[in-house]
Amino acid sequence: MSKGKIAIVGIGEVPTANMPTRTHWDIIYDTCMEAVKDAGLHKNDIEGVVSVSPQAQPKITAELSFGKLPEELGLKGCKDTVSCNAGGASTSNCLRMAEQWIHSGIAKAVLVQHVTVHSTIPLADQINFFAKAGVDLQWEYPYGTTYNIIMGLMANRFMHESGCTPEQMASVVTALRSWASRDPNSFFYKKDVPSVEKVLSSDLLNTPLHKRESNVLGDGGCAMVVVSAEDAQKMKRPAAYKLGDSVRYFSGTCVMRDFKKVEEGFRVTAREAMAQAGITKEDVSIWNCYLAYPLAHPLVAELLEVAPPGKAGQYFLEGRMSFGGDIPWSTIGDAPGRGHTGSGVSAAHYVETARQLMGKAGERQVKNCRYVYQNAGGGSGFNNIATIWGKEI
Amino acid sequence: MPAAVRDSTISPPSGERRSDMEFDMTKPVPEVQPWSEKFWEGTKEGKLLIQVCKDCKSKIFYPRKYCPECWSGNLDWIEGSGRAKIYSFSTAYSMVEPKFMDELPYTIAYVDLEEGIRMMTRIVDCEPADIAIGMDVEVIFHERGGFYLPYFRPVRQ
Ligand SMILES: [Zn+2]
Repeated sequence: MSKGKIAIVGIGEVPTANMPTRTHWDIIYDTCMEAVKDAGLHKNDIEGVVSVSPQAQPKITAELSFGKLPEELGLKGCKDTVSCNAGGASTSNCLRMAEQWIHSGIAKAVLVQHVTVHSTIPLADQINFFAKAGVDLQWEYPYGTTYNIIMGLMANRFMHESGCTPEQMASVVTALRSWASRDPNSFFYKKDVPSVEKVLSSDLLNTPLHKRESNVLGDGGCAMVVVSAEDAQKMKRPAAYKLGDSVRYFSGTCVMRDFKKVEEGFRVTAREAMAQAGITKEDVSIWNCYLAYPLAHPLVAELLEVAPPGKAGQYFLEGRMSFGGDIPWSTIGDAPGRGHTGSGVSAAHYVETARQLMGKAGERQVKNCRYVYQNAGGGSGFNNIATIWGKEI
Repeated sequence: MPAAVRDSTISPPSGERRSDMEFDMTKPVPEVQPWSEKFWEGTKEGKLLIQVCKDCKSKIFYPRKYCPECWSGNLDWIEGSGRAKIYSFSTAYSMVEPKFMDELPYTIAYVDLEEGIRMMTRIVDCEPADIAIGMDVEVIFHERGGFYLPYFRPVRQ
């Protein structure tokens, strides 16, 4: 898509927390109404609704994909609704759908939303779902493979090649949680930021992944209102303009994932998205990286050329990516800081990108925030979608 | 018959709560596709078979219905040497499904076969602390529910 076609003009979010009393529809009402009000629009201005398909929650998934949301919220002007599922890249695809509707003239204002309630899923169902999701049932699952182990395989190889130490890896958690502790929507808001020693002293789940390097499932949700860039300018409100994007597919099966191809994919998508936006990496105010596990962050920091090869771990350990550091990085603390809301972590990332560009990020507000790099990856990493968002066109 | 090890009888860990019994404790076997049956038949005979395309000469893993390089259906099998090098590994100590807990700790690895393909597997017959990237390993077959999963162990000097 070309430069400056859409903008996020309204955001709404509920804090991530395990709150079984807060139902899916409870969260949908609160986040969607907040986003529409934040955009300064009337509910009947919303002409399209795109939902991130919730993982492991078949009832709400069916209700959304069968078109219940516009009816429930009384969106009388709604012309179409759809759900998107591309795992962690779902939100990117919801925004692309919104972009298409706005381009084609179907809708002038589109509501994009995500909701997840993990706390009411029986533990056995949660384990059964996440044990198999993204794990090949013939060539991986029979060996006892898990998401955590797949992450361990990647991290061990990265440490072998880069020389990144366990202390440096653990410092990523400290960095991410330093942001999360200042985010009212985080699971870890106002909670102590664990030191490197504390991370490393937590139980070893699988080498080199410690318990505090994993993440906790949580309930949450958020919503965004998207309009054309032209309309956003006319609205004269704080907005986040989409300026560039790029994507590469890697593989659907982890054992087939060529690490070199993944690395090149991250480099190329960043370059292409920035070229489309007409900026260079020096212009980026925030690297909002959605990677689900902290162990992937040093690798990606090097691929994005934020840190030189072999130095990213040191950058994290020195606190350069932490709150107050000179390289603002994943300012909601990614999944380890936000709490894992399934595909909602990427949705929360986009809301944060918009929030920072709108100047509404409170204590976490990055000064002079003009351009944000925001990525998303599908499932257990089948692709990488890089986008650049700006304060203005 | 190949050299093979068998899964021991599986019983729930002691002290397990009744409510946890809803977990499916059946250990999984590969969900076979028609075109991968030959691979699993091979393992029963102690052979690690590799699918090859007779038209473009590609070695194919995992086995497909048609060659993923040229879409030819003219496919065949060769027997691999069973020797490989560890590309990466991760040893699990906890947080696995209940059905695998009796096997902890266990090591999952990517191994690069001499024939140029990469598999996911288990590394067995050695201490986790002795496992390293680049280590030479050889195939050994592990029986589970009538299937023989290719596991790997360090090559004995
Ligand atoms: Zn071929």
